[in-house]
Amino acid sequence: MAKNAVGIAGKKKSTAGEKAKKGILAFILNAILIIFSATCIFPLIWMFYSSLKPKRVFNADIIGLPKEPTLVNYQKITSNADYHIWQSMGNSARTTILSLFFIVLFGFIVGYILARVQFKGNRALYVMFLMGMLIPVHSLLVPIYVVFNNTGLGNQWFTLIIPYVAFGLPIAVFLVESFIKSIPTEMEQAAAIDGSSFSRTLFSIILPITRPMLVTITIIQTFSCWNEFSFALVLMQDVRLQTVPLAMTMFKGQFASDYPKIMSAMLLTMSPIVVLYFVFSKEIIKGMVAGAVKG
Amino acid sequence: MLKSIKPKASTVIAYLAIPFVWYVFSVFVPLITAMFYSLFEWKGGPQKSFIGLENYSKLISDGTFWMSFGHNLFLVVACIIGQIGLAFIFVLMINSRLVKLKGIHRTFGFFPSTISAVALGFIWKMIYDNKRGVLNWFLTAIGRDDLTKVWLNDKSIIMLLVAIPLVWQFIGYYMVILLSGIAAIDTEIFEVAEIDGANAVQRAIYIVMPLLKNTLLVCVTLCVAGNMKAFDHIYTMTEGGPGTASMVMAMYGYKISFEQMNMGYGSAISVGIFVVSLLVIAGSQALINFYTKDKGVD
Repeated sequence: MAKNAVGIAGKKKSTAGEKAKKGILAFILNAILIIFSATCIFPLIWMFYSSLKPKRVFNADIIGLPKEPTLVNYQKITSNADYHIWQSMGNSARTTILSLFFIVLFGFIVGYILARVQFKGNRALYVMFLMGMLIPVHSLLVPIYVVFNNTGLGNQWFTLIIPYVAFGLPIAVFLVESFIKSIPTEMEQAAAIDGSSFSRTLFSIILPITRPMLVTITIIQTFSCWNEFSFALVLMQDVRLQTVPLAMTMFKGQFASDYPKIMSAMLLTMSPIVVLYFVFSKEIIKGMVAGAVKG
Repeated sequence: MLKSIKPKASTVIAYLAIPFVWYVFSVFVPLITAMFYSLFEWKGGPQKSFIGLENYSKLISDGTFWMSFGHNLFLVVACIIGQIGLAFIFVLMINSRLVKLKGIHRTFGFFPSTISAVALGFIWKMIYDNKRGVLNWFLTAIGRDDLTKVWLNDKSIIMLLVAIPLVWQFIGYYMVILLSGIAAIDTEIFEVAEIDGANAVQRAIYIVMPLLKNTLLVCVTLCVAGNMKAFDHIYTMTEGGPGTASMVMAMYGYKISFEQMNMGYGSAISVGIFVVSLLVIAGSQALINFYTKDKGVD
């Protein structure tokens, strides 16, 4: 209360001059932030309306709004099978969904066991899983290419799932382990007394409790799997198996300077992620931040 | 540890076996394979000849590798200053009562960090394009035609040009992380400081910065680790060019291994990237620890 009184007294003293100063400050602050937000969203909007122009119109005026919007670019890229648009999106979707499934499943099991079950080598295993976060993936491109091609694991529909799961695991194990450690063991004890087996307790009692953490892991990994490029670049030579980021690099060569066409292809392949982001932005931001800060 | 959670050893092993094998196979097996192949002269074919540590002595005197490493460090510094610096300033602004549309700034600002680095590279390549790029269009629009150029061909500023997209992409990301840190601070502290006559800059440096110290350090750590593996957007924008003017370590390793098919030396570079990155990360952590201890702030 005392502080409030001081605050009000302070406000009363403010003169008209100070008010004007405050108004200018408010204007500047808002303007800077609005400009920043605008630059963040501008490329998306620019690409969107530019993709509605034919190449000729775009080259004449790169920034203006289309006078006669047309879907001709979209028709061209989706009707030509050589561009593999739908195929690459299907590949990305399959790879992402399967990777997420295994990351969450393994991360949950390993994280739980490392948090709760005491055995020799528990900590060593934990450190080993965490080391994965420190290993720069690019130092593994050559050897992984060699190992995968020698074992026949390269260039298959499931190829990319292997490294994605392996490199998604460390953060998942870490988040689950620390989450499980923060909850009391009473429920598991009660379940054990009631005769529930380890597996049953794990999946019907612990799993629902851990759900918020698993959602966070899913959010983080959705973006990194969908956007991953390096492994896809060295492991997938077959164009029919390419994921979206890899297919995009092919547009560069194929469309050369046909920007509206590149833009429409990019927007189409980005659309699942963009839609997902703007629908769930609150949850996504929360999840990504939680993952980053704790990791 | 509680007695109740003592499953049979066989159950535990059964649960751990698949993830363990999966993980070791894709992380540690390649790492050891890289060390093994780095001892060979090997152009990707069936012929391999053992040459001991020759690849490594070549690597140590390889100017391009060290220049690439320097470029990685440049990106780290640019991103620490650009991303975290700007994010910090924006956070101070957003936190002001005068600012509206806070939710919009968060959502829009965070958006670029969710798109792929390949898409990012393409977008900025189009912005920098000399004929159809937004940058040259803008310069022409404000009457400075003389400044327009083929941006991505200019060796002297290429690193700056590839750093800008990176900085831009993650400002919002760090902004949101810092906002979550600042939300944990009692707002009364700011009010009291305001009443005590501290101006905005003083409050930022003497109150917000120390309170946000841990969050800021998390950001620095993310920045260092993230930029040691810069690759995707450089691959799309310049492929390390013109010449080797925008080469980074991962790009160099990729070129040697997959374009020149020099797998033996490529493996040595891979090991080099691994060692150098870990050293930089460990070094930055040590520096942070030393600095924070020295200051005696906690």
